[in-house]
Amino acid sequence: MLSQFFILSPRGDTIILRDYLGNVPKGSSEVLFRKVKFWDGGGQDAPPVFHVDGVNYLYVKDGGVLLCATTRENVSPFVVLELLRRIGGIIKDYCGLLSEDAVRKNFVLVYELLDEVIDYGYPQNSSSEALKELVHNEPTIVKPPKHKASVFSVGKGPTGVIKSVLDTARTDGGRRDEIFVDIVERISCTFNSAGYIHASQIDGAIQVKSYLAGNPAICLALNDTLAIGRRGGAHGHDYSHGGGTSQDAVMLDDCNFHESVSLDRFDTERTLELVPPDGEFAVMNYRSTYDFKPPFRVNVVVEPDRNSSLKALVTIRLKADFLAEKAASGLELSIAFPKEAARMTCEYERETKPSGSQSWDWQERLHRLTWKLKRVQGGSDHALKARVTLDEEYSANFRRGVGPVNCTFAIPMYCASRLQVRYLQILKNDKNYSPYRWVRYVTMSSSYTFRT
Amino acid sequence: MSDSKYFATTKKGEIHEFKEDLRSLDRSKKKEAVKKVIAAMTVGKDVSMLFPDVVNCMQTDDLELKKLVYLYLINYAKTQPDLAIMGVNTFVKDSQDPNPLIRALAVRTMGCIRVDKITEYLCDPLQRCLKDDDPYVRKTAAVCVAKLYDINSELVEDRGFLDILKDLLADSNPMVVANAVAALSEIHEVSGKDVFQITSNSLFKLLRALNECTEWGQVFILDSLAAYQAKDSKDAESIVERVSPRLQHANCAVVLSAVKVIMKQLDLIQDDALVRQLQKKMAPPLVTLLSAEPEIQYVALRNINLIVQKAPQILSHEVKVFFCKYNDPIYVKMEKLEIMIRLASDKNIDQVLLEFKEYATEVDVDFVRRAVRAIGRCAVSIEKAAERCINVLLELIQTKVNYVVQEAIIVIKDIFRRYPNRYESIIATLCENLDTLDEPEAKASMIWIIGEYAERIDNADELLEQFLETFPEETALVQLQLVTAAVKLFLKKPTEKPQQMIQLVLTYATQETDNPDLRDRAYIYWRLLSTDPDAAKEVVLAEKPVIMDNTTSLEPSLLTLLLGQLGNLASVYHKPPEAFVTRSRMAVQRAEDLAPASFEEEGPISAGASEAMPGPVAGPEVQSHQPDLLGDLLDVGEPTPPAPVAPTPTPPQPTARPPAPPTSNGNLQELLGGLDINAGAPPPAPVAPQQAGQADPFGSPAVRQDQAGGSSLRQLLTADRGKGLSIFGTVARVGGQPVYQLRFQNETAQPLDGFMIQFNKNTFGLAPANQAVNVGVIGPRSSGSASVPLVQNPAMVSPAQAPPTLQVAIRNNQLGVAYFNDSLPLPAILVEDGKIEGSVFVGSWKSLPEANEVTQQLPINIGSLESVRARLAAANLFVMAHKQVAQTNEEVLYITGKAATVDTPTQLLLEVRYSKAIPGIKAFTKSTRPDLAPFVFEALPALLT
Repeated sequence: MLSQFFILSPRGDTIILRDYLGNVPKGSSEVLFRKVKFWDGGGQDAPPVFHVDGVNYLYVKDGGVLLCATTRENVSPFVVLELLRRIGGIIKDYCGLLSEDAVRKNFVLVYELLDEVIDYGYPQNSSSEALKELVHNEPTIVKPPKHKASVFSVGKGPTGVIKSVLDTARTDGGRRDEIFVDIVERISCTFNSAGYIHASQIDGAIQVKSYLAGNPAICLALNDTLAIGRRGGAHGHDYSHGGGTSQDAVMLDDCNFHESVSLDRFDTERTLELVPPDGEFAVMNYRSTYDFKPPFRVNVVVEPDRNSSLKALVTIRLKADFLAEKAASGLELSIAFPKEAARMTCEYERETKPSGSQSWDWQERLHRLTWKLKRVQGGSDHALKARVTLDEEYSANFRRGVGPVNCTFAIPMYCASRLQVRYLQILKNDKNYSPYRWVRYVTMSSSYTFRT
Repeated sequence: MSDSKYFATTKKGEIHEFKEDLRSLDRSKKKEAVKKVIAAMTVGKDVSMLFPDVVNCMQTDDLELKKLVYLYLINYAKTQPDLAIMGVNTFVKDSQDPNPLIRALAVRTMGCIRVDKITEYLCDPLQRCLKDDDPYVRKTAAVCVAKLYDINSELVEDRGFLDILKDLLADSNPMVVANAVAALSEIHEVSGKDVFQITSNSLFKLLRALNECTEWGQVFILDSLAAYQAKDSKDAESIVERVSPRLQHANCAVVLSAVKVIMKQLDLIQDDALVRQLQKKMAPPLVTLLSAEPEIQYVALRNINLIVQKAPQILSHEVKVFFCKYNDPIYVKMEKLEIMIRLASDKNIDQVLLEFKEYATEVDVDFVRRAVRAIGRCAVSIEKAAERCINVLLELIQTKVNYVVQEAIIVIKDIFRRYPNRYESIIATLCENLDTLDEPEAKASMIWIIGEYAERIDNADELLEQFLETFPEETALVQLQLVTAAVKLFLKKPTEKPQQMIQLVLTYATQETDNPDLRDRAYIYWRLLSTDPDAAKEVVLAEKPVIMDNTTSLEPSLLTLLLGQLGNLASVYHKPPEAFVTRSRMAVQRAEDLAPASFEEEGPISAGASEAMPGPVAGPEVQSHQPDLLGDLLDVGEPTPPAPVAPTPTPPQPTARPPAPPTSNGNLQELLGGLDINAGAPPPAPVAPQQAGQADPFGSPAVRQDQAGGSSLRQLLTADRGKGLSIFGTVARVGGQPVYQLRFQNETAQPLDGFMIQFNKNTFGLAPANQAVNVGVIGPRSSGSASVPLVQNPAMVSPAQAPPTLQVAIRNNQLGVAYFNDSLPLPAILVEDGKIEGSVFVGSWKSLPEANEVTQQLPINIGSLESVRARLAAANLFVMAHKQVAQTNEEVLYITGKAATVDTPTQLLLEVRYSKAIPGIKAFTKSTRPDLAPFVFEALPALLT
């Protein structure tokens, strides 16, 4: 299986290294780092699996560090990559977050964990819960730097809580029983030039982060109208639900579950029962290619300037098509321009409050205009008018060359698939036990593109 | 408490400080110190000198401290095997500790220490732990058996651990079962022995454990099930039924292992409806893999690529999920594109084309090119869509983006070939873009189109003429197309202009070019045209076979093999495991094992060396070596692709050589580099080449030592004897000719010029072909190299002497004449075609008189036979046979070679008898020139050891 496992800092320093078989020459970490950094002469992402001189290198990037493995054998890359991801997750669970600093500050704990997670290159136990009784070191919780906090909250799983799983074992009164359930959806949507959806997909997950002492079982009830499987049941699953074609049905193509989940009540009541292990994990991953209402619409109009043939007017209109009480944050539009575009000045049709919460930037080298809005209220309209100076005379080629427009955003408390947790029940026969329960939703863009 | 302070920079007395602290009685201080040591170890500092101090901390009831010490031990025990023994007592004691965690820790750690003596002590604790009451200990012990097997397989077999491991397959704890499966699979693979066979009995147990064990355990079990051969359809169905719930697992490794098992059993299931249902069932989980992180997506896509080559129907409705997202990494985009092409059909082609068209306007040039190619490939494979594809390509050509246009023309050529005489109307549009073409492939494609449709293009002659203007500068690809296109044009429109054109082209291609392919093709055309123009027409304008889009499809046999490897690295590289798996284990990775590196392993060095040598090797030299080499390589058992070198029939022209041409040895290496026999071989061991040199640095022929041009030439004249000029040199054989390679080192303060060379009479009548040495002016404190081609002149022959000495005189304008003696290495005068039939060998041996036989004992030991063969072959000596003498330990080598003696060459016959047990060899030689025997014997040590 694995010959080595190591963690590299963003500068390529080895901060953790375990060698299991001793059959990989020294310097493997440098080989890997160089390849990753300068794949194909740089600029390109290195594939996560590659082969150099008889050694296979596999890596994932997470929290700014590289989690890497080497092997000489014909292993399953899924096992390795998934394991690397999982180790990242375990470090997060134990140290609060995964970063170079967190690993350095907790390297003894990380070694102790690794000892249990991998033996002789074989994955053994990767459940943060089960590892608790096998490790003895105390974590040093590292808080992320202030300015980075927002990045972490929008990253994978919005649960911004920085807390070790070992916290549930505390007996000093500082313990706080709580459970976070986050419905995280990443939406991909491609609109054609007429504004119709050309392809769309939702990748969702119900992420749970549990800090419940004693690990009581919980119940998660989802929409009654949840239906799984493709239209017409052609690809139907064993448990595809009757009546799933009605208007308010939540339609999924496929889903999978964490191993702790019992599906006994899923077929009949759409309820998931599980004993949540400590730490963060996905209770359910799902995927839907059914139509949904896209939260944003963008329209780009390109016109010649009547006063000058070397100028053009480009108007980008944005409509937030969701309920007014919700708001998207960190909206960013990036519009590609053809090479003729030399310079531009932009003005906003409407100022947003507070002033300065929107900005634009023309990147001449990349021929790209970016428009950022910190906060966009549901139902609102915005427009950006760009006066573009051209190197060549205005032509239809220029008009065709503007676009596509790519959007990134996150909308808290919004769920594109309309999947809901109807209730979250903690099954513990103790009237006084009422831990904090957080159920949150967020929809983020994965690839949200308007073609022109 | 934070650990990062341990990474603080090194101070001077650090090690000393560690020592103090490690010996401290204060436990927390001790622990701190061990942590610092581990931190230092992690960043790569050598802290092995602390071994005794750290081991002293081992005996403690502080589990945290114990773990740290063990971590240290695992790292450094192999460097301090004697000291590692100090830990044995503690290990053995720990393995009987009441705490199961400590028992497990002890066996786990002992298994990781690869020191013989520790291993001996491991067996008893391991035996106990395999039967421990605690499942955690048992599962740890199960893995430990695999560790032990790797260190000492006999011990495992002798102690019956394999049987215990097999018993664990029925353990009540699924984790233990999973680890037993993992350990058995590992041993199975390492040993190549059939130690792990699933029976219908154990199958049931495994399937039961599958539902309960951890995700990784599920992977181990599923992977072992994939190797199970079901008895019949029923058997297969029941496996699939038990496995298919795993498709719902959140861990993609589990999902893919389940897919692998199902794919394997699918072939056996006879119920077609069930097969279809299962195929449908596999699609959603496969697609869901694409919702994971890009790393997982990449691996998934490479696997899906294989699956859709076998069974496209599984995903035929899902082409949309393979559409690229703008934020996909490039490696994901490329794979998606490939799968989209495979899933494209006349039903979804419009959607797919729309996507490709969009991709063709993206920023990444490589991706854009691939997208354009994708359109062409769809056109070739889907007849109904061809026209739509062409329209999209024409639209893209209108964008005038240089690389898009070129790529489009390349694929349009393929479309024309696939659908002849259907879309020629667009040629006019293509011709508008001739000026933008600057890439050879695009040019070649356009030229092909013009030639093929010359009769439809009114100004075809003008267009071709444009290209012909730059004919000499074009790449071979373009030149070949131009020759063919000109011929086609002439055959189709035999008017005056094409006739001129063809004369021009053929004249150039046959007389001016160095490219043998081009020249040969031109000759063929020329002769065809001059003997029978009608026949030429039939040949050149014949109907071409229809092409298909299978450029990226795998061979069916390879595909089947790779599908069996689903979810393994082989399925990501799309290569069979043998191509990249190099099992090397610590236990076997010792320097001395690498030392007798066999011949083929030296490839990379040779390639490197030849890179260092300037000057290309001309065709004939390579040619002359080739057949023998190939023969030898085949003997060695290396699959060798034919050499991609085309020989030039012109005689070698020594004078035209660059100043420091490769030696005969360099030649050989060049060829090896070209043969690329080393694909996938382990990194070379840079030992063997030096050995030969060390064994006999002076007398040995220049077979091994002249790696880097002049640097290892031997010194012939020292500076003090040569009035400030030192000369290095050796006689080598280059391109079937002896060549004197010389390097002059000018230590004087003045420039030297006018070098000339002359030999005295010698055994083989060697003399410089030209007295002037072409080395020019050598500046003060600098050096110059030259190769002097040697010829054989009957007037220069003197009676044989051993060793055959060359008496050489070299003069220059400044220092006058210098004299020195040089010895002549045997290989320099051995000709390349010295191989004879075995019967001829025997016949000659018998026919030669007894008196011609010379015998000598030599105090050498024969090295590895492969390398000896290779070395002999490099020296133009050929092993006729290798025999074991019946009833004795003796082995015999029969060797032959042909020495270029003046007038008639001499066939040398050589018999070498040796025995592994007794040092030394006995050599017999027979030839018409017994006086050469000492010369032969003198060369043997370097060639045979």
